[in-house]
Amino acid sequence: MKNVNIKSVVVALSLLATLSSCENDYQDEKPSIAAIAVANANFSTLEGAAIQGGVAGVLSNSNPNDPSGKYTVFAPTNDAFAKLGLVNSGSLGVLQNSFLTNTLLYHVSNGSLMANQIMAGGTSASALSINRRFISRGSDLYINGSKIILTDVAASNGTVHAIDKVMIATGVNIVDSAILLKDSKVFKSPELTFLVQAVISSGLAPTLSNPANNFTIYAPTDAAFKAAGFATIQDVANAPQAVLQQVLLNHAISGGKFTSEQTATTATTAGGGTLTYSPFLNGVFTVKSNGNTIPANMVIPDIQCSNGVVHIIDRVLLP
Amino acid sequence: MIKKQIVLLLAVTTLGCVTTAFSQSPISGFMQGKGKGNVALSYSFEKYDNVFLVPQEVESVPVFNDVKITSASIYGVYGISDQVDVVMVLPYITATGNASQEVLTNNNFENERKGLQDVSVFVKYSPFYFDFGKSSLRLIGALGLKTPLGDYNVNEGLQSIIAIGNRSTTFSTTGMAMYKMNSGVFASAQFAGNFASNEVPNSYSSEVKLGYAASLFYADAFIANQTSTSGVDILGEGFTGFFPSTQVNYTKIGLNLYTPITKEVGISAGASTVIEGRNVGKATGLYGGLVYKF
Repeated sequence: MKNVNIKSVVVALSLLATLSSCENDYQDEKPSIAAIAVANANFSTLEGAAIQGGVAGVLSNSNPNDPSGKYTVFAPTNDAFAKLGLVNSGSLGVLQNSFLTNTLLYHVSNGSLMANQIMAGGTSASALSINRRFISRGSDLYINGSKIILTDVAASNGTVHAIDKVMIATGVNIVDSAILLKDSKVFKSPELTFLVQAVISSGLAPTLSNPANNFTIYAPTDAAFKAAGFATIQDVANAPQAVLQQVLLNHAISGGKFTSEQTATTATTAGGGTLTYSPFLNGVFTVKSNGNTIPANMVIPDIQCSNGVVHIIDRVLLP
Repeated sequence: MIKKQIVLLLAVTTLGCVTTAFSQSPISGFMQGKGKGNVALSYSFEKYDNVFLVPQEVESVPVFNDVKITSASIYGVYGISDQVDVVMVLPYITATGNASQEVLTNNNFENERKGLQDVSVFVKYSPFYFDFGKSSLRLIGALGLKTPLGDYNVNEGLQSIIAIGNRSTTFSTTGMAMYKMNSGVFASAQFAGNFASNEVPNSYSSEVKLGYAASLFYADAFIANQTSTSGVDILGEGFTGFFPSTQVNYTKIGLNLYTPITKEVGISAGASTVIEGRNVGKATGLYGGLVYKF
């Protein structure tokens, strides 16, 4: 009988030992890049984007396309998304999923790129196979127009750096980029439809799509054209070609520059006019032309195209 | 004897990212006796908004923010002989997420999954009973089979965060010992191996219980653990969005209460909470049940 009691005590103790051995033994493990986005409240929109864009599984795993198995992700914070009006996961529904996926891939690259390996003036190829530029401004380091605000967050499958602005690349030239927006390939609703008509009617499309040229383009929204007196797209088509040319060339500056690269306070347009920039603040500046009383604000800055950089603005820049 | 009517909370633990069947083992240390048994209907409610991921607990369930799980279950036990009981459990489960309409639309998800989950049948065999005069020791072995009865889905990507089960057919073997004093105080411990049929990892589970069983009142407190022997972590290496292949570990604590109302009918109630885990919702739940004994 005593023997049985001892046995039962042994059984009970071994069970308890089993239980206690199930303590959390993995808290020292590194989270994956996807898990970092999920665990950090400042990346909740990115988390939603990764789920909607279908890359949450990809960023949970090792990188099969790199010998190290690592990725580097420049991760836009919630504030970065909010600058585009994407205030939470739900608001991502205004975007086409294919565009969302490509945009996420533009933030991803093969291998772990640590902050001390990043050189201003250098470039980095993205998983979208379009290069990003590293730019130094003051004491800050930028990737394209996005300030790198936190570096070297270690993940099991790579490295995360946080950025203050979403990076966008179209992979096509300036005209085709505008047409992507017009054809609702970016937003589910068409945008830049007036501008595309103006580009076509002005006869400037060959110039703006020429890979040998490189421009910074300020691209007014449809609402901006309407505010400037064009009630319909047909009104744009009916405008004299010379006027359209003159107005459009007032939105083009030779040499594609991200906001982070723009340090001068004025710029001369391709039409010979002068644009005046406000001080660089929070990643953007306003743009004022001689024909305007109120400067234009940037709605979507820093869209990288194959032959320049486009900043979408809320006002037509009148010469 | 009240001890013959003990009911268990079936409920689903936490599926969410997860997929466990029972918040407690349906195997108790009490035997029914030949020709006797009981049937219980119970209703449980549990909720979680935090999830134990690797390496840390995260606030807010991905996509669904928080998850509520209710289950209505039928439980029956019948003594084929004084040494053999048959136990059956069948839950109907409703899992409800709290994603915004926009997020649901963007991802083509829904906030609810419900249906009949898995039926479990156990055969309990108690070949050894030692009476020490003032106390007794009973040893029990049990074999169980759990298999999906409903046609619920588990392969809907992250929608399956609120899948109601894991669609595995699982064979389990349980060994158990219960030491009981004549005062009614008892302690039991059990250990089970669970062998799953498909991508679901095998697991072992254990439960230690301390309680008091008298003619007008029953109470116990338990600590239970499940540990998968393999499997991937959610958002970890190998994770593809297919939740059944996830490693699911947890430790939970809880209590059960029972009291008879009439000779045949009694009521049960209880609560439990997950205190530690891996790839599991940090769920806390309550249940209540009606027990009919015969």
